[in-house]
Amino acid sequence: FFFKIVFRTVGRWVVLLWPLLLIKCVPLDCQDEQSCPSISQEKLLDRVIQHAELIYRVSEDSCTLFEEMFVPFPLRLQSNQAGYACITKALPIPSSRSEIQQISDQYLLHSVLMLVRSWIEPLVYLQTTLERYDNAPDLLLNKTKWLSEKLLSLEQGVLVLITKMLNEGMVSTSYSDPSLVQYDMQLDMLESIMRDYTLFNCFKKDAHKMEAFLKLLKCRQTNNCA
Amino acid sequence: MLIRGPVETRIKAVTMMKEIILLFLLFYMACGNTSFGPPGKPTLTNCRSPEKETFTCWWKPGSDGGLPTIYALFYLKDNSDTLYECPDYHTAGKNSCFFNKNETSVWVNYNITVVATNQIGRTFSDPVDVDVAYIVQPHTPENVTVNVMENKGWPFLRVSWESPHKADIRSGWITLVYELRSRMEGEVEWEEHFPGQQKTFNIFSIRSGSSYLLQVRCKPDHGFWSEWSSTTKIKVPEYFFGERYLWILIAVFSSLVFLILAWILYMNSRSLKNCILPPVPGPKIKGFDHQSLKNGSHKDSFNSLMIPEIPPNSSSNYEDLLVEYLEVFISGDQELSMEEGKDMQDFKSESSTCDSDSGRGSCDSQTLLTDKCKEVNKDELNKNCKETLEISHRGGLIYEDSTDTCNERVKTWPCLPQYASSHVPQMSSLKMVKQHCLSDTLLAHGSLSSNAHKHNESFTSTYWDFSLSNKQPSQIHPQTSKHLQAHSDINICKLTNEIHTTFKPIQYVEVQTVNEEGMVLLQPVESVQSQAEGCPHAHHREDYSKVKGVRNGNTLLLERGVTVTEGGMDWCVCDKMETSSNKERDYMSANTLKHQDASMKTFTMPFQEQKPPTANGYVDTAMMFSVSM
Repeated sequence: FFFKIVFRTVGRWVVLLWPLLLIKCVPLDCQDEQSCPSISQEKLLDRVIQHAELIYRVSEDSCTLFEEMFVPFPLRLQSNQAGYACITKALPIPSSRSEIQQISDQYLLHSVLMLVRSWIEPLVYLQTTLERYDNAPDLLLNKTKWLSEKLLSLEQGVLVLITKMLNEGMVSTSYSDPSLVQYDMQLDMLESIMRDYTLFNCFKKDAHKMEAFLKLLKCRQTNNCA
Repeated sequence: MLIRGPVETRIKAVTMMKEIILLFLLFYMACGNTSFGPPGKPTLTNCRSPEKETFTCWWKPGSDGGLPTIYALFYLKDNSDTLYECPDYHTAGKNSCFFNKNETSVWVNYNITVVATNQIGRTFSDPVDVDVAYIVQPHTPENVTVNVMENKGWPFLRVSWESPHKADIRSGWITLVYELRSRMEGEVEWEEHFPGQQKTFNIFSIRSGSSYLLQVRCKPDHGFWSEWSSTTKIKVPEYFFGERYLWILIAVFSSLVFLILAWILYMNSRSLKNCILPPVPGPKIKGFDHQSLKNGSHKDSFNSLMIPEIPPNSSSNYEDLLVEYLEVFISGDQELSMEEGKDMQDFKSESSTCDSDSGRGSCDSQTLLTDKCKEVNKDELNKNCKETLEISHRGGLIYEDSTDTCNERVKTWPCLPQYASSHVPQMSSLKMVKQHCLSDTLLAHGSLSSNAHKHNESFTSTYWDFSLSNKQPSQIHPQTSKHLQAHSDINICKLTNEIHTTFKPIQYVEVQTVNEEGMVLLQPVESVQSQAEGCPHAHHREDYSKVKGVRNGNTLLLERGVTVTEGGMDWCVCDKMETSSNKERDYMSANTLKHQDASMKTFTMPFQEQKPPTANGYVDTAMMFSVSM
């Protein structure tokens, strides 16, 4: 009697879900490009753009949090007067529309990659720095941690994009320069704060840049965004 | 001398005027000099870029300082120490600085300061950091067009617009999101829609016949909302097409519901009828044989109703022919307290449980009394009166339900204990009762003067008035004077004194008069003693206290009978016709009918107020007179 009930219920589910039996479960093992079902280029680009948008938003939130928490009010609008330049200033990245219009897709994508890679380490550094503060809020810590993780996945996406769009091989060289970030542990509190504040600001700017570049790239791909 | 005079004065006047003017000037300058100073501090209000390629900054000047002030804008670019000055002060208007394409770099920090300079000194404003990427506020969308589209069904609005012409969306430099809002012409609140990045939108929730106003605005992905575009108006033409379907649907549905309801009603018509219009119970007469009536034998059916003892065929058993009187029992304080809420039916049941013995016996007569009093007080016009008086040969009155005859006013009981509190001593209660008795009876007749009131304090009322309906016009009694009536009242009241003394205020009352309004006036039966004393004409005792029958439906036949005292039932019959006073009109008809029957007697009682009668009898409220005997 018991088995009858079990059989009945199981049988019912089998009847309802029989299409699942037809599905062949294949692990995504993309050793070989041709056997692996891959995502289309437009979708990939869309996802990368969404990623970059999200990173920008979170970085904006983190910057605001840090500013409210640690930066004294008179210094808030003069972040650059402290003398700390953005670490990516030296990178050959276009900064105006006219410039961007002139560069190629390849250069655009590589600029994005450069930016992403140059920020991986500073974000890790920021994470450790924040723990040194007395009362850093957990939210800020979590966001910073999230940012560094997402940046890594963004890097992966851009690399795939490069491979697909530009048909290049995997780029393995790292653009990060250890000298970009100067770790001076003997700064006093205010200077340390200002340096970290500058870091947050610069990262926010660069995230915006990444997003803008990727969107430009997308519109170039679709021929017309209007 | 003469020539010099005017010149000299003129010169003097001029010099004086000059001095005055100089003084004024100096004074003015001195005053003016104290208000001169360095210029006030200017403030940068905002900087905006419409397309992320150029931007403009505006500032607000501080106080003037009295002197002409020059404003200059300087900026530092991204931590370099090179100080640049604003390239264009005029394009964007007054107190503004316009940065053209060549000078604008995105993702670069501009540190901007405004300086106000005048003769006295200069003042610097607070520096402001600007990054062009974050200050984008586009222009309003352009070319907002609206059309009413109709697609076989309900109409809807299709709104379309274009991006501001300067924003470069084509290359993806800026991505814009749009917002649309609409409202009907008479309303106040806007309805908001978010088309996202699209440039067209459909609004479906519109009402035909009204006009709509629309506005669009846009925002870059990270920036500020633009201003709302100018209002576009569209009028939706009247469409009945779609609405007709709705009405058809409503009509069909309501007819269906109606049909169902009618069907239900039809099925339940019988029970509904019983609910709304309950059947009226027909008359039920005990012992009445409907079948015999239907068969046509009227006599039989009516005979079955007749109680064979009335009229008595033989006078063999005089005791059987006793006039029955109702027993009135006033025994004490408690019994004088009112009981609420008993009606005639209770009375009937009460009376039916009574034995026909004399005295209280098993009767709870005081409750009867109270019930009756209640009735009298509350409802003079007892619309539900369903009693006819039926006389039984023994016992008291039997009231029976009858829907045929309705006695409009049945005043059967005096208001004995109602007005008395429960703790009033018996005597006083009786007195009050007496008073009320009198007032009731006499006021009802409208014939008593106040004198009688005063004198009759010792009187109590065991005087029942029967007021029959118009169906039974009054039986005329020759006694028509109020004076006579007063006598009767007094007599009655006198009787009650006896009641008082004997602890058993039982009285005999007999019908004495029936006035025009159908009120039967009762008279107490006096004791032998009182009778003997006061009645000069007591040689015969005519006792018209037995009802013989009902004649013509409205006359009560009374019969002479032998009075057998059960403790003082004798009463005095006085053939006295009193002269009528003005208030005898009640009895006018009685007078006229007097002639018909010579045997009509007027029964009066001599005034014997001092001696309480020993009335131990029963009061028969059912006694009525008839003219013809």
